[in-house]
Amino acid sequence: MNTESTQQTEVGCPPGQLMFKRKWTDTLRVTFRAVIKVKGGLWGGIFISIMLICAIGAQWIAPSDPNAQDIMSRFAAPSRDHFFGTDYLGRDIFSRIVYGCRIAVLVAFGTVTFSSVIGVFLGVVSGYNEGKKLDYFIIWLFDIIRSFPQIILALGIVAVLGPSLFNVVIALAFTAFPFYGRIARAQTLSVKQADYVKAAEAMGLKPFQIIMRHITPNIMAPVIVCLGMDMATMIVWESGLSFLGLGVRPPEASWGIMLRNGYKYMQTSPWMLLWPALAISLAMIAFSLFSEGLRVALDPKERER
Amino acid sequence: MLKYIIKRALWVIPTLLGVLILLFGLTYLMPGDPASAMLGPRATPELVAEINQRMHLDRAMPVRLGYYLAGVVKGDLGTSVWSGHKVSSLLAEALPHTALLALTSLGIAAVIGILLGAFAAVRRNSPIGGCVTIVSLLGVAVPDFVAALLLMLLFCVLVPILPALGAGTPGDPVDILMHLILPATALGIGWVGYLARLTRESMLDVLDSDYIRTSRAFAIPGKTITYRYALKNAVIPSITVIGLGVGKLLGGAVFVEIIFSRPGLGKLIVDSVHARDFPVVQGGILVATLLFVLANLIADISYAFVDPRIQYE
Repeated sequence: MNTESTQQTEVGCPPGQLMFKRKWTDTLRVTFRAVIKVKGGLWGGIFISIMLICAIGAQWIAPSDPNAQDIMSRFAAPSRDHFFGTDYLGRDIFSRIVYGCRIAVLVAFGTVTFSSVIGVFLGVVSGYNEGKKLDYFIIWLFDIIRSFPQIILALGIVAVLGPSLFNVVIALAFTAFPFYGRIARAQTLSVKQADYVKAAEAMGLKPFQIIMRHITPNIMAPVIVCLGMDMATMIVWESGLSFLGLGVRPPEASWGIMLRNGYKYMQTSPWMLLWPALAISLAMIAFSLFSEGLRVALDPKERER
Repeated sequence: MLKYIIKRALWVIPTLLGVLILLFGLTYLMPGDPASAMLGPRATPELVAEINQRMHLDRAMPVRLGYYLAGVVKGDLGTSVWSGHKVSSLLAEALPHTALLALTSLGIAAVIGILLGAFAAVRRNSPIGGCVTIVSLLGVAVPDFVAALLLMLLFCVLVPILPALGAGTPGDPVDILMHLILPATALGIGWVGYLARLTRESMLDVLDSDYIRTSRAFAIPGKTITYRYALKNAVIPSITVIGLGVGKLLGGAVFVEIIFSRPGLGKLIVDSVHARDFPVVQGGILVATLLFVLANLIADISYAFVDPRIQYE
């Protein structure tokens, strides 16, 4: 073992290459270009961009305040004044859908950020310490949380924390992080055999530095693919929790809350139900197309096809 | 293989222990005081103290955890704070409805999905291929609870031909079946597309493999090759997916049951969350988790049986 690693440092990369560091913005740009070259990835990217624009510029895009009530024109069918009609308080549904993008985007990015950071860190630590007590403990932790049906655990956590946007993000992230952890751990097991990790060990780097600098950046591809699909799931679950009255609090314009109201008035004004349903479906399609594009773009085997 | 199965089965024990600890921890963090919730305006200090003593709420945390674990092992999940019924009997009432719904939708979805995928793989350029693509896209795009809402709008409001609410009169199979159609469709539609796509992919791989070519060379009839030799290996990925999917199915059942107002496990959990009836929430989550763990165990073990090529350490 000892001779092996000395040999590798001798043969290893020339010093110049060792210092070479790719800027993360470059990586992002290259990946993005590869994704939009995939057929579906482009459409997914366009839809997601529209959602992002709506989320950021909701106050300029929406024709009226999402909570402005107009009791005189309650339950108005779609018309020139109200593109998508109005709901039971006379609120403009189009504006509420636009503002709903904000919550959807916040939840999607918030949960996957929390869950992937925690999950990847624990996964890498566990994989790096393979076979040790810490490894078994982390696997045990992952398996406990993965034992629960995800949305049911999220329900339980929201029940304890109380319904709010932040708590929904926390609850969903808590149920999702072991999945990133499993991926990260499996990847780490193969990456840590690589020469550059052995070289870093031989140079006397601390385990933490090796984990952060040498392993984590090299296991991100499958994690990123998972991120894309997970965002779609999180949007749906946020809507689901809000639909049950356990998510974002009314009068906040969440698609789930709009569905809940639509469900109540389904018989008289079906448009109250149809528009948020359409918004959720489009978001689902967009994120799955985009993540499919990511998968193809990041997988060298697929790219050759 | 036997060693793998035993190892896999034994791993369930520490996992379930962790599940129980986590569930207990959730209740422990739960704001509010169960005793005053139970008693409402009648709460006097003496009554509160008595209930706290009966439910061991006045004891230290580890002692309460011990009582909880012992109770679960004995099958005692506590009593509902609101109705005073035993949690276990509430669950026993709700579970058959959920089981019927989940098994129907999963069973039908598996049969349709796998056959559709196999057809699409065998006749590569037929319209069935396009059909699979559309159904799987639909399954991705329309999550189960949105599907439930849309189906309800379509078949209960616009064209009222199917019943909207409830689980049907007990003992009347036709009525129960009528009440099952929409929820089962809503829950299963995503699975049809997913399983069809999965089976198509793996079937295409299998049909290209050497042993299929060899069987062709032996002049074994095409149908035998497709359905007996190829399909058997092509469904392997679906088995794991179905095992993992039971969790998603139970989660989806929560929404579908709420929407169609079926008195199942999911509705029980959500109603109890709203009522802050935490023993019932705890019991409901525990039962759902047990079912999920069991399904995964069965899937993993059957995986080992179906695919003897896989080597386990």
